[in-house]
Amino acid sequence: MTPALNLPQLFLADLPPEAVLTPTLVRDACIAVKRNRATWLLHRRTQELIELLAYAAERWQQPEFAFRRLALQVGAAETGYGAATLARGLDSFFRLLTVDHLQALIVQDLGEVRRLDEFSAPAGELRHGRLALAQGPELLVHLAAGNLPNSTLMSLVLGLLTKSAQFVKLASRATVIPRLFAHSLTELEPKLGGCLEFAVWPGGQTELEAAVFGETTCVTVQGSDETIASVRARVPAPVRLVAHGNRLSFGFISGDMLSSYSVRKVAERAAADVTAWNQLGCLSPHVFYVEDRGAVSAEGFAELLAAALAEREAVEPRGEVSVAESARIADRRYLHELRSARHLLARGEAVTVPRGVFFEPPSAGTRLWASENSTAWTVVYEEDARFQASCLNRFVYVKPVRDLAEALRLADPIRDAVSTVGVAALESRLPELARQLAAWGVPRVCPVGRMQEPPLTWRHDGRPALSELVTWTDLEL
Amino acid sequence: MPEAFSASGQPAPAGEPPFEDLAVGLFRAQFAANPAYQAICRVRGIVPEQLTDWREIPAVPTRAFKEFELTALPPEERRWVYHSSGTTGQTPSRHFHNVESRALYEASLIPWFQRHVLGDGLARRFFALTPPPAQVPHSSLAHMLAVGLQEFSGPTPGAFYGCVNALGTWELELERLFAALAEAEAASTPVLLLGTAFNFVHWLDELAATGRRLVLPPNSRLMETGGYKGRSRALPRAELHAELALRLGLPADQIITEYGMSELSSQAYAAVTAERPTPIFVFPPWARALVVSPETGREVAVGAPGHLRVFDLANVWSVLAVQTEDLAIRRDSGFELLGRLPAAEPRGCSLMTT
Repeated sequence: MTPALNLPQLFLADLPPEAVLTPTLVRDACIAVKRNRATWLLHRRTQELIELLAYAAERWQQPEFAFRRLALQVGAAETGYGAATLARGLDSFFRLLTVDHLQALIVQDLGEVRRLDEFSAPAGELRHGRLALAQGPELLVHLAAGNLPNSTLMSLVLGLLTKSAQFVKLASRATVIPRLFAHSLTELEPKLGGCLEFAVWPGGQTELEAAVFGETTCVTVQGSDETIASVRARVPAPVRLVAHGNRLSFGFISGDMLSSYSVRKVAERAAADVTAWNQLGCLSPHVFYVEDRGAVSAEGFAELLAAALAEREAVEPRGEVSVAESARIADRRYLHELRSARHLLARGEAVTVPRGVFFEPPSAGTRLWASENSTAWTVVYEEDARFQASCLNRFVYVKPVRDLAEALRLADPIRDAVSTVGVAALESRLPELARQLAAWGVPRVCPVGRMQEPPLTWRHDGRPALSELVTWTDLEL
Repeated sequence: MPEAFSASGQPAPAGEPPFEDLAVGLFRAQFAANPAYQAICRVRGIVPEQLTDWREIPAVPTRAFKEFELTALPPEERRWVYHSSGTTGQTPSRHFHNVESRALYEASLIPWFQRHVLGDGLARRFFALTPPPAQVPHSSLAHMLAVGLQEFSGPTPGAFYGCVNALGTWELELERLFAALAEAEAASTPVLLLGTAFNFVHWLDELAATGRRLVLPPNSRLMETGGYKGRSRALPRAELHAELALRLGLPADQIITEYGMSELSSQAYAAVTAERPTPIFVFPPWARALVVSPETGREVAVGAPGHLRVFDLANVWSVLAVQTEDLAIRRDSGFELLGRLPAAEPRGCSLMTT
């Protein structure tokens, strides 16, 4: 159910839930935003838009900012994230939305900061007597994912930079935060609101999507392989589809970080990655592979990670999850209890262990640490180091490996689906590790602790962000 | 009032120890006699001396019946074994029986079957839609139906109308079934159809495909038991019942749903009535269902959803406390089944590769 927000009714998604969307209504909305874009947005200078976004982002980081407060109340209720988790996630995004970073993004993707305003070129191109102008689609359509809001916010920012009118089909459980962001932009620049449209409808209403697809030249979609395949089949042939499928991520802790001096810090950073967005994003780690040759063992690292997750839970609780998600975690814990029992039986021991967090005496093939009386967090250490997808919501595996090569061999089944590998290693080893990861096909390597905080300039799934959206006109002098 | 059998609204029979005492006593015996179970308990840090309440008896997930031989019977005494109807290629759950344990299983099933499936006690001709036990010796359901047929068949003996086909899957012998039903119809003998939900879905599909419609003789009844496991299109229970009512002319209150599994020795039943359109399952007094919070492992409030856990005193030689993979809502008189824990994550980026 859409929570009451008491926002002005700017967008279709602001209408009361009983409002019925029809293909005509949706098509008219597309035509309206295109018209408004032609009269206002198309003629803004990029620098002006950058400054607008950067100022909006500054406001979003202020604790008393009304839209932020609404996002943390109503948005938290809608998404199920705890307010602290949500605040950390939103801050990690808005912190990056500065003039400097936005300019850097344009330069990286398009070569020159004025590319979207006029024929221009970086020095190298100029020398060869060539200028170019990049133009965004007239109408950019986003089919948004529901797991975390940042990807939708980023899509909106990209569309704004390319001066496109935008139509966002929101996921039914993530309608609030993207709309609040748009309302906050509209408050700063009312004409901008007229270039944006948001709507939400249940899956399968293909006639509404067809109405939108008929008005656009570019669609972005995030979601499962099935979602993407279904959209691909329905988008008319000339329309460009920018698709980002679901991905998995994992971490690698090199042995030299397992000194008694640094290991605690690494465990805290790993906990930050597991708790960010409750692990529900593509960049969240399922497994930490630990090089088992440090002063602290991989199992010791798992124990420290458990302690760090318990500390995080105290200040940034995971929040409630559905009974099915919770039962899935309970079920997964049972599975590992059975594996522990198997080891006990195999050793022929009958050790009585105290009841509590520690389920298993040390040095068995598997060991489990878990929050008591809740499913808030779980760490499973397993000697069987084959990659295993987590059931998420702060449930993570720690697995020992000899080296990165072994970890990659064990993760081979998900090779094509990996987004990010978080690495904790001495700087001197990093170039070699990064080379190995690149050769294996990893699109993004980052420090452990920042897996869910990609820079604004990151190349999502190894693809550039802005250049996927624009069309070029070259001018040869 | 002794709390003993209050879960099903019945007091403990006079002179018998209450459920709690029996459960705790049985747990102690199973802990001592069953090394795999003992290991699971120890991993959880629970030993009999620490137990303060029967609800704390460690429940083994049904999966444990696949991974371990959860039995106190020595190998030479394991005369029968019942398997879960898992997906082909996977190790099934295994529940071992000897003469004594199977006799107890039968003693447990008979009175509850009689009360819930037969109801009014009217003589009916039995039609079991599973293959007969001789063809599926590891199916506890087929055995259960055989016992029902043997104990309660009316003047015309009941029979099995299912078979195992060349692919190893269960099939209906449709022509035989139609012929026998026509016979019953001609004689106006009420019938009792017994089968799995997927048996009935296959049958309904066949009826729909051929445009056939049957009207069962008055007072006929039907018992279906859940679980499709990919063997037919999965049909929500309410829809299945509506289609059964339409195609077979059965009033909704003559359709009984059974909840059972090879890991248990007792079954729960539910029927839809005009006052209660959602079926509420009830176990016999010697078995109790707890709907527990997956967060805390403790029983949820009435009306709240949770993970279904069953304590079955008839599971003497295996393990009495079984953690199912089903979600349920706790009701005053029993539980409402929500269904199997979904494996796929509806949101987030998890690719469930496991």
